[in-house]
Amino acid sequence: MINNLILMDGYGVFVWSSFMITFLVCGIFYYKTRKTLKKYEKEFAKEIESLSAEQKKIVLENSKIASKILSAYNKTI
Amino acid sequence: MFNFFYNSNIFIWIEKLIKFINSIFFVLLLIALSFALIFSPPDYLQGNSVRIMYVHVPAAWIGLASFSAIAFLSIINFIFKIKNLTLIAKSLAPIGLLFTCIAIVTGSIWGQPTWGTFWAWDARITSMVILAIFYLLFILTHKFLLEESKANNISSLIAILGLINIPIIKYSVEWWATLHQPASIKIIGTSSIHSSMLMPLLLMFFVLILYCALIFLMKYKTEIIRIKKKNLKRI
Repeated sequence: MINNLILMDGYGVFVWSSFMITFLVCGIFYYKTRKTLKKYEKEFAKEIESLSAEQKKIVLENSKIASKILSAYNKTI
Repeated sequence: MFNFFYNSNIFIWIEKLIKFINSIFFVLLLIALSFALIFSPPDYLQGNSVRIMYVHVPAAWIGLASFSAIAFLSIINFIFKIKNLTLIAKSLAPIGLLFTCIAIVTGSIWGQPTWGTFWAWDARITSMVILAIFYLLFILTHKFLLEESKANNISSLIAILGLINIPIIKYSVEWWATLHQPASIKIIGTSSIHSSMLMPLLLMFFVLILYCALIFLMKYKTEIIRIKKKNLKRI
């Protein structure tokens, strides 16, 4: 049965290579997208941290997103 | 100064959705793969090579649907100039390009056992390559044109022009004598595919749609943060 699954009557090389290419490329794409998102989150959080206490307070009070990003980033470190 | 920070609810929903998709994705992928590679029957004519269909067809559908969505958003954006639509289109384009390329590559691999060749300048294949070129132009416009409004206008034009190619792809197998087989699945009319193959195909399509949603949400979130970063610099 395992042999049948791998060889697929001679079509195994075509079928497996199609599936492997698809999921490998999708995996790399997912990794790269996630990495870019984390990089932006980190940069944004650092920029907020670099603001003066007053500016930081204004930003966090006015933007739920900013506080969300900051709290998410603080959880990861 | 902070009038852009209005879509905080969207942002919270994005986070929730990403978590939800991540939690169910691998289970669904395993089920879909089991059906595609083990439980679905081989084709009476093409044998087991038909299993390539389970990645090739959903990839082609996603490639076409993404471009249609981008073109539709571009038309609306062209008229009403809604910034959010540009972000959505920008986030969709890389996904569409990825799946168009997957459709071309897996189609090429499928071509070898069924047609005896990896490549032919067949109407369907050529029009899919043109679609990939339109995607590339759209993405490169946003990457290399620094002036945002100019980039939006040009990329919208590219998307609207590329829309002409969509019906060409769809009907290429009917308008020209091609190596590519005609559509087996029809929204209107009866499909010629057996339910034992249709079910795994739809399941795989659903899993890939979930993957697209996940990538889209992450890309959209990145775009929102990028804008927030820009706003922050203005302080």
